[in-house]
Amino acid sequence: MKIRLQVNGVKHEVELEGHERLIDILREKLGVKSVKEGCGTGECGMCAVLVNGTPMLSCLMLAVQARGKKITTVEGLEEDGKLHPLQKAFIETGAVQCGFCIPGAIIVAKGLIDRKRRPSRDEIRRALRSVLCRCGSYLMFEEAVQMVVEGRVE
Amino acid sequence: MAEVEKQVERLLNSKDFVVIGKGIARVDSLEAVTGRLAFTGDLLPSNVLYVRPVRSTVPHALIKDIDFSAAKNIPGIVGIYTWRDIPGINDAGSLIPDRPFLAVDKVRHYGEAMAIIAGERPEAVDEAIGLVRVEYERLPAVFDPVEAMKPDAPKVHDKGNICRHMKIRKGDVEKGFQEADVIIENTYQTEFIDSVPPEPEIGLASPDQDGGITCIGSMQNPFDVRWKVADILGLPQEKVRVIQAATGGGFGPKSDETPIDVCAYAALVAYKTGRSAVSIMTRDEAMVTQAKRHKFIIKNKTGARSDGRLVAWESTLIEDTGAYISKGHLVIVRAIFHCAGPYDIPNVKADGYCVLTNNTFAGSTRGFGAPQAFFAAERQMDELARKLGMDPFELRLKNLLRRGSKTITSAEIEDDGLAMCAEWVYNNSEWVRKRREYEEFNRKTRGPIRKGIGVAMIYHGNTLGPEGEDFAYVDVSVDKDGKVSVRTGLTDFGTGAATGLLMIVAEELGVTLDKVRMERPDTSKVQNPGPTVASRVTAIGGRAAQEAASKIREKLKGVAAEMLGCPSERVVFREGRVYDSENPENKVSFEEVVSQAYRIGLELKETGYYIAPPTKWDEETGQGKPYNQYTYGAEVAEVEVDVETGLVKVVRITCAFDVGRIVNPIGLKDVVHGGTIMGMGQAIMERFIHEDGIVLTDNFSTYWIPTAVDSPEIIYHLIESPGPAGAYGAKAMGEIPVVPPPAAISNAVAHALGVPVKQIPLTPDRVLELVKRAGET
Repeated sequence: MKIRLQVNGVKHEVELEGHERLIDILREKLGVKSVKEGCGTGECGMCAVLVNGTPMLSCLMLAVQARGKKITTVEGLEEDGKLHPLQKAFIETGAVQCGFCIPGAIIVAKGLIDRKRRPSRDEIRRALRSVLCRCGSYLMFEEAVQMVVEGRVE
Repeated sequence: MAEVEKQVERLLNSKDFVVIGKGIARVDSLEAVTGRLAFTGDLLPSNVLYVRPVRSTVPHALIKDIDFSAAKNIPGIVGIYTWRDIPGINDAGSLIPDRPFLAVDKVRHYGEAMAIIAGERPEAVDEAIGLVRVEYERLPAVFDPVEAMKPDAPKVHDKGNICRHMKIRKGDVEKGFQEADVIIENTYQTEFIDSVPPEPEIGLASPDQDGGITCIGSMQNPFDVRWKVADILGLPQEKVRVIQAATGGGFGPKSDETPIDVCAYAALVAYKTGRSAVSIMTRDEAMVTQAKRHKFIIKNKTGARSDGRLVAWESTLIEDTGAYISKGHLVIVRAIFHCAGPYDIPNVKADGYCVLTNNTFAGSTRGFGAPQAFFAAERQMDELARKLGMDPFELRLKNLLRRGSKTITSAEIEDDGLAMCAEWVYNNSEWVRKRREYEEFNRKTRGPIRKGIGVAMIYHGNTLGPEGEDFAYVDVSVDKDGKVSVRTGLTDFGTGAATGLLMIVAEELGVTLDKVRMERPDTSKVQNPGPTVASRVTAIGGRAAQEAASKIREKLKGVAAEMLGCPSERVVFREGRVYDSENPENKVSFEEVVSQAYRIGLELKETGYYIAPPTKWDEETGQGKPYNQYTYGAEVAEVEVDVETGLVKVVRITCAFDVGRIVNPIGLKDVVHGGTIMGMGQAIMERFIHEDGIVLTDNFSTYWIPTAVDSPEIIYHLIESPGPAGAYGAKAMGEIPVVPPPAAISNAVAHALGVPVKQIPLTPDRVLELVKRAGET
């Protein structure tokens, strides 16, 4: 079947089969490589994407479920060639270690701050709980989101 | 001698650094936050074949027959290969050739590869694997290392199950115990742990036009992968080229067996079919097969005088290495060298056994046996303090290894880093006040929460020591525009090591960091720099980087001296400027000097080499100097234990580490946080379960690792007591913060509940058992 979806502001028409996962369509058909598969069973959060603004696990979502929806990944966060404040804050705080979970963590953080302008530290942690970071950057993630919330990054 | 050392130390400390010591985020951070960082899975060609092995479903059996007839007929299957199809040597052991690449007639653990299937689509391969019929003849198996040591236990390999017996004999332990006023004896146990690097193992192989193979993969040691892939294919080493792509976490397993496996699966298919092939482990496959942290059973007997002075220590360490040795024979060495804590003890006897069982194999994992050894040693110290009626911190201070003390191998300690760490933590954790307050809280409370505070101290023998030749190669070149390239087979997989090496090169050349870039590790471009393990890149690799860069600087100095018209010893390289130290206004840019060097035909390409002084110890007594220097750490953990649910919350970690030299404060922050949180997982959550050899914990739903809500507050302090072996005095640090948390946290839980803790992880079921025992006493 053919579905339409919008990825990072670009409209696509994709030929797919009903059983295909969103992560595979994004990575293999549309070349969106930031979306990482860490477990394939919805436990690690590394494949998180925004679907109409809500963080979703693209390994648990059928591509057909994204029909007509807007998908955002870290590839779509830069504006006019400038990094999103979250991207800057993740760099500044030293949150990047191996880098594999970083796209998922940034996407989950974006989902949070878009929904709620001033989340508490506790809310930030609860949101980020959905992404596993084995390098242990959790407190840097939290600090990065806090910096953005408080306007400490341009 | 002491005076000379002090002078050296002062000299090192007074050096005016420009780049070293500045906080620099990982050099590839920008790529990571924009999604451009290229991991192997992001580089697959469109017509790639998918490869996956058929794995055993039983832990110990003879393979009587494998029937591929149904599997063969699945559309899209391109090839099925067994050991008979291996052109070279059927072995994939990373150090010891005891592990068949594909099982021949026997499997020794659950999940062992017996054949590989290649197909056009991953679904076809998975379907085919499901249709393979294997006829096994089950063999008696052994899953408990203590059972496995018995003479009549089922044998995992042809020889006995004890693959190494390591000894420490210092002083006279019997006499020591006779002099003791107090003797305690306890047995401690840890579990298998999986460090689960976020990116599961992946290897992509493509045939070259000249009959060779190129592998791209997620790994720590490209040269180990090259060695084994070439041997399996029966090719000369130079016909196999291995490139490390961005690697999503290593933690040890990616220096071990599984990165070899995936690259070799893919390479064998590429070799047979002439097409590109990729082998990607699923999470469960990775968790079953990747090297685990060893399970240990440690018996400690400790004697002290009534004033707390340690007089005798006896340990027996039993290490379950699973069905293949992997690095088990080396992990037992590190464990035994650290088995009595960082204390000055005149009489020590220790026996360590590396034991084979039919569990999935354990190998290299961050900390390499030290977290288990310190858990047992530091718990023992708290039990001793209790018996003596002493404060556990005071007991440690009384016995600490200080400058001039002798370790359990009788090596002399050359600095006071540990005492400095201990002092900082003592003051900044508010130990005395909190210890008292929490005890009072626990006496008065009517609620379910009990509070505890515990301490642990460690020392960690640096880099390889007894684990191998501690050398490194780093190449540095400067192109005619003044851009600096650093090339080495040492790798970064999230450790920050690449950033550290670039900082060192920038420091030595006096250029800004943006002028320096790291090339991807590629076996066709560099020589084997030794393995990227044992936290050795900044300390040891840094020395090689220093050497390469300073050779280039010395060459450029002559050129600059002529340009500036001053003697070459007055030429200074700093932040991209090159000037006369006596007249800083007399200056040229680094680029101008480089361009002049090219004009006169100088080659600006140098290889830096460093090898740490060899370490020696006696195999029979363990006495000698197994390490060139030590990293030290002291840590206080504060916990809240819910006696109704059994949940442990780690509230705060206050720690100090002596890192020798701070090369990159941001890198060290990352490493301290990451190690602390990973160590906390080992203390309270992570438990890799084999049930009769079958793995029950093969995903994050059954194997729980810390999340953002579990992170404790982390307060840390870095001390610089330079060591003799590392770059600018740097000590090993990548692994070390993972070592103290199991000990400190379990001591805090023991304090909260008032009962001994002898087993980790402290999962709720175990905590509730402790609560019950506390109620009974």
